[in-house]
Amino acid sequence: MNCASAHEWMEQFLDQELDAARSALLEEHLVNCRMCSEILAQHRRLQSDIRTQAPYHSAPAGLDRAVRDALRQTAASQSTAGAAWRRWQWAAIAASVLLAASLGWNVTLLLTRTADRDTLAQEVLASHIRSLIGTHLLDVPSSDQHTVKPWFNGKLDFSPEVKDLAPQGFPLLGGRIEYLAGRPVAALVYGRRQHVINLFVWPSGAGDGESSLTRNGYNVIHWSDPHMTYWAVSDIPSQELEDFKLQLAK
Amino acid sequence: MFEQTALPHLNAAYNLARWLTRNEDDAKDIVQESYLRAFRLYDSYRGGDSKAWLLAVVRNTFLTWRSRTYRSVETSLSDEVERSAESDAATALDRLVDEVQVEALRNCIEQLPDEFREVLVMRELEEMSYQQIVGTTNLPLGTVMSRLSRARKRLAQCVNGRAAGARR
Repeated sequence: MNCASAHEWMEQFLDQELDAARSALLEEHLVNCRMCSEILAQHRRLQSDIRTQAPYHSAPAGLDRAVRDALRQTAASQSTAGAAWRRWQWAAIAASVLLAASLGWNVTLLLTRTADRDTLAQEVLASHIRSLIGTHLLDVPSSDQHTVKPWFNGKLDFSPEVKDLAPQGFPLLGGRIEYLAGRPVAALVYGRRQHVINLFVWPSGAGDGESSLTRNGYNVIHWSDPHMTYWAVSDIPSQELEDFKLQLAK
Repeated sequence: MFEQTALPHLNAAYNLARWLTRNEDDAKDIVQESYLRAFRLYDSYRGGDSKAWLLAVVRNTFLTWRSRTYRSVETSLSDEVERSAESDAATALDRLVDEVQVEALRNCIEQLPDEFREVLVMRELEEMSYQQIVGTTNLPLGTVMSRLSRARKRLAQCVNGRAAGARR
């Protein structure tokens, strides 16, 4: 493997489009080649700058309604008004049903594939997915850590630390109570661009190590300190989730 | 159902249209028109990746719109940005410098030629795979990869150039 092939493969590698065999060759080369690893680092920086700093333009308020109205008019002109209206009533919930169905399918796959391991990780992931498809993402919607933290008082037998990480690109969205690992736990919800991060926190007797895994496009990482155990789950890239963990620990 | 297939991608449709047109009003028009077009084309949709399919309609609607109304605003825009980037940096508060960096990045992306900007937005902001981008643009895989690579190279040059300018 020479530097020319390394350069050629680098972006595919960062885009997670390079096959495993070539990725291994490239990684081996990078260990020994400072110049190439510096170039890779530059690529990585640019990618991360674009993803964290370039604005994602979400549809403005009202566009959804305008599109639906325009479609309804077209549909009405094509079929009888009554039939079109019934279709539209149904369409109003269609998007969420589709999302729920596709996520449910993934969860089913996930549960059968890894039936006898990572049960807690599965619970965490299932809880994350449930929070996205239902209406129960936030019990206390607030970006203010001084609102979210007291909200847990009296609802849990512990008091989780709550940090807003908006300056680091992970704005606090709020929190809720979840039931995990056989006990009520704090779920803190953070945003990352269009993505949601669920951070589950509960007390643990002793540090119980660290782990991370990827399932069906979701990344889950787990760590602990002497008092608490933490599980973070999201569909953002694993290096961003690691960054989230570092920012929390600061 | 068309609505199930297409409406979940409204944000993606708008994001792409907004980056391609570089303004909100045109982006809204393009998204509306795209959904009507997609609705009419839905009979020919053969399943598969619905996001790639819908964004292909958005992209084609944009290309039609551009051929009708293309306005050459790039030079005037970039001059303006250059000036504001420099004067802001001169006041040199850290927060301002950060804002200038974000603004510079946005402007550098907006100044990329359309064919580079679209693949960059699809890859980095829509987080689409190469195969999805191929599905949307109908370009050969090799072309998608080389355009993406050139987009990144140009963007890096532009951003680094701005940073050097701000330090002076």
